[in-house]
Amino acid sequence: MSVTYIDAIREAQEKLLRDDPRVFLYGQDIATFGGAFKATKGLAEQFPGRVFDAPISEDAMIGMAVGAAIEGMRPIVEMQFADFSSLAFNQIVNQAATHFYRTGMPIPITVRLPSGGTPGSGPFHSQSMEGIYAQYPGLVVLTPATVSDAYHMLIDGVALDDPVIFCEHKFLYRWLKSKSINGDHLPIGQARIIRPGKHATVVAYSAMVHEAVRAADRLQQDGWEIEVVDLRSVKPLDLDTILASVARTGRLLAVGEAFPWGGVTAEVVSRVCEEGFHLLDAPPQRLNARDTPVPYHPKLWAAHRPTPESICEALRKLLTF
Amino acid sequence: MDMQPFADGVVMNRDFLRSVFHSMLKARILENKLSSLYKAGKIVGGVYLGRGQEAVSATLGTALIQGTDFFAPLIRDQAGRTAFGEPLIDCTRTYLGSAQGPMRGRDGNIHRGRPQMGMPAMISHLGAQVPVVAGMLFAKRLQGTLQGRVGATCIGDGATSTGAFHEGLNLASVERLPMVVIVGNNQFAYSTPNHRQFACADLVEKARGYGVGGFSVDGTDLLACASVIGEAVRRAREGGGPQLVVARLLRLSGHGEHDDGSYVPAEIKSGHYGRDCIEVAMRQLVEHGIATVDEIFAWQDQFAEEVQRAVAQAQQEDPPDPYQENWTALSTRFSTPQPCAVQ
Amino acid sequence: MPTVPILMPQLGESIAEATIIRLGISVGDTVRTDQEIIEVETNKAVMGVTTLCDGIVSEIRAVEGVSYSVGTLLGLLEVTEDEVARTGVDTLESQETKRIAANQSSNANQAEANLHFALDDDAYEEAPAVVPSVKGLPVPTGVMGAHYISPRMRARMDDLGIREADISAVAGTGAGGRVTVEDLEQFLDYLEAWPSTHASPMRLAVADAMRRSWTRPLATVGLPVNLDCVLNHRREHSPKPGLTLYLLRAFALALTENPKTAGYLIGDKVVHPRSFDIGVAVQVEDGVVVPVVRKVDQKSLRDLIAEYDDLVDRARRRRLTEDDCRGGIATVTNFGTFGLTTGTPIPLPNETLILGIGAGMKKPVWSTEVEVFLPATVADLLLTFDHRVVDGGGAGVLLNRVSALLQNPGAL
Repeated sequence: MSVTYIDAIREAQEKLLRDDPRVFLYGQDIATFGGAFKATKGLAEQFPGRVFDAPISEDAMIGMAVGAAIEGMRPIVEMQFADFSSLAFNQIVNQAATHFYRTGMPIPITVRLPSGGTPGSGPFHSQSMEGIYAQYPGLVVLTPATVSDAYHMLIDGVALDDPVIFCEHKFLYRWLKSKSINGDHLPIGQARIIRPGKHATVVAYSAMVHEAVRAADRLQQDGWEIEVVDLRSVKPLDLDTILASVARTGRLLAVGEAFPWGGVTAEVVSRVCEEGFHLLDAPPQRLNARDTPVPYHPKLWAAHRPTPESICEALRKLLTF
Repeated sequence: MDMQPFADGVVMNRDFLRSVFHSMLKARILENKLSSLYKAGKIVGGVYLGRGQEAVSATLGTALIQGTDFFAPLIRDQAGRTAFGEPLIDCTRTYLGSAQGPMRGRDGNIHRGRPQMGMPAMISHLGAQVPVVAGMLFAKRLQGTLQGRVGATCIGDGATSTGAFHEGLNLASVERLPMVVIVGNNQFAYSTPNHRQFACADLVEKARGYGVGGFSVDGTDLLACASVIGEAVRRAREGGGPQLVVARLLRLSGHGEHDDGSYVPAEIKSGHYGRDCIEVAMRQLVEHGIATVDEIFAWQDQFAEEVQRAVAQAQQEDPPDPYQENWTALSTRFSTPQPCAVQ
Repeated sequence: MPTVPILMPQLGESIAEATIIRLGISVGDTVRTDQEIIEVETNKAVMGVTTLCDGIVSEIRAVEGVSYSVGTLLGLLEVTEDEVARTGVDTLESQETKRIAANQSSNANQAEANLHFALDDDAYEEAPAVVPSVKGLPVPTGVMGAHYISPRMRARMDDLGIREADISAVAGTGAGGRVTVEDLEQFLDYLEAWPSTHASPMRLAVADAMRRSWTRPLATVGLPVNLDCVLNHRREHSPKPGLTLYLLRAFALALTENPKTAGYLIGDKVVHPRSFDIGVAVQVEDGVVVPVVRKVDQKSLRDLIAEYDDLVDRARRRRLTEDDCRGGIATVTNFGTFGLTTGTPIPLPNETLILGIGAGMKKPVWSTEVEVFLPATVADLLLTFDHRVVDGGGAGVLLNRVSALLQNPGAL
């Protein structure tokens, strides 16, 4: 009996709909059809009047969610792909994210973004937008990497009074399986040491956590012990755990699937330099996707994002500095 | 304001009209004062007035029921805000930078609102409030208390070009929500005339495209506004779905007080729709015996006093203190420390 | 009567100034609230500056046709107290009170008038073009390589009190041969197996002084000096002056004639001696201390004996104070007492000269008068100097003078 990452998301929404009458789901094709990825399969039948098909209007979907939140509801809006959330960008960053600061009333909406690439998904079905949303004050940005986190963090995210951008990774949907959804249930804002080590630290999030672990396994054969930190949430960022790890190892590589300019990996490196400069025995490094749109062809795609091979290579350079 | 425009379905409710006119007059006096304050250098940032749109805005605000209905005012809705119940001091405090204003200095001028009161605070992106009002109504439907409620917002002719307006009205229509969207076609979006803004012959034609009720009204005519807008609100309230009202009038000020509107042609200014709705209203009220000239002058003095007091009080209050500010945009306190560029 | 300022308002978000088109008022005019009194033009529109309250124009500073920055004082209104109460307007007097109160509180920045937008008088001007002053590669390239010490390495070394000199024995395995933290830790583990003693504070103090002194280019020159005159003079005296004392006195006199040789270089300045205070190196257990004899040039050899003996005695008994060792301009050291004939002494880090003498040995010396080799007691006189301040020639002059003075010990 195993649970996939997408099962966990579906189960979390089921639990939320059952336990909290304020929750409703709004998204394209999510009602009878159950969603483009079946993340809401069966929920419309199970909970009549709580799961709705939206018109193709990302701006209005979020605007409407903000209004519903003002009047006491907790909407979960599913964007069919993270890439399409750019059409809702104004409502997310200017309406939802500023509302508490400006009016004192928080907006408890959750926006689910199917993020990241799969072979052949192409430039507009592969984007990782966590860095863009993390830039704006007033948003919580979550990036679960495990089946258990996908379940618990969605539930914890909906319980927050602030707007949550929930970046779920499409590659992990069906590829990542677990025996159960019950993991260690850490609170939002805490990172997890997913693999202990002593020679170097890799900080990663979402699908890249798994690539980093595979790279670490390979380097283990050469006697290197690589520590892997799963950020879990990009904002708030758990700098304490990252610094503790760098204190142990002295070497840092931050890995992310997003585009290389700025973003999560740059934020990690810059904060470690600011507050943990004396812990570094080598210049801290970052590894991201290439500075081009995500290519369609699987061979190109495989070379566009970090892989266990490219992570190993970056680590070897770091380890021999 | 628990007032119905129609006393018995046909005849105009006298008290309703007097109430609307109060809000129109008060708003005009207040905004004239704001303009003065701006030109005396007392206001930082932009000042955008609703001169010329008072009849439309105040009628809507009076027809809506505070505590039941939702009203998302936009740029030129001072009269509507006053009618809906926003205290004058909220306006003067926000413009004059008092820390006690509803936005506490974190946003200014017409971006103020009280979402807890059913009056959300607008953002600068035009059209964005349309889906927000729809969402507020949607929540009420899920909570089982939508019956008898209306949600309304006003926008300009320019905002009808935005994607947000299109998506929002479409969604409200698909969901059959009791919304009223009033388009104040004041013929200029900043300096852009109608023929550079839309290509249909009349904006009200869009109502058909969205599957919503459509109304046209002469925005300079108080009695016409009361009749048409009153009807639109009634239809929405009785389950007729969204209603689009297109009011024709002229903006009687610059786009903002930093703009002198010198691009508005003289013919338009002296044409029918260039009439001042307050002058028109005064004539109508006196003609129909709804108010006397003496009463109107008395109201002018009374409102000037009120405005003066609100200005004087706000001017003496302290501005926000950056050293006492809680510089956070999240209501949640996380256990790990949050980033701060400057401590 | 309270005064209300008329200021240039900000008539648009990016507006920094406006031009006066028409002054609608004169001094002495009565004005009402909300009256447009001055017409101004911005790049967007023509508009009117408006009054805040009733009053009388008491001063006009604006001139037609001239541009003024936002916030400039254009004029003043005299206003009654009643009017101030009615309108709630800010007067110059109340602004001044607020400003003083704000300056007195810790939040001095809050002093800006809370409602008027204030700008500096000078509008923003474009900065002049920047001329680069550094030619060639502006970015240092020495980040890698054998000498690179990472921040963590630096922190660990500070932790342990280790200096770069201490780790010269560590072979680095990092890129370019740099020493990594792992290398250091392994080296320290390796040393655990070796017998060791704790370095005393004296040892560490000497180590630190010598390390700092060595950062300068030091050179040593020497010449042989005939000690017979000094030895004879000494034999006939009681109490007997130490040999080093003769050297001290001769050195001091030679320095008064050549003070520049004791100069100390800091940046582009050479600091000269203000008092000829000279130190004497005294070997103690586990180290060296250098008490300083004051104003050696002004006291005769006989006068110096008591002071010198006391300092040396206290030095041996470790009873010297910090003041005893401070402020010298040069040092004298006698390593002949250890049986050494020659050496390259190192000056103190705060001095540029050290004069050393080796053991006297009986040697044949050519006599030009008698044209034979005659026996004499000869010792090597060494001078180490900071070659940034002194050259061979200057050192030579000094040494020769010391040697000459030592041939006439009675005059010391």
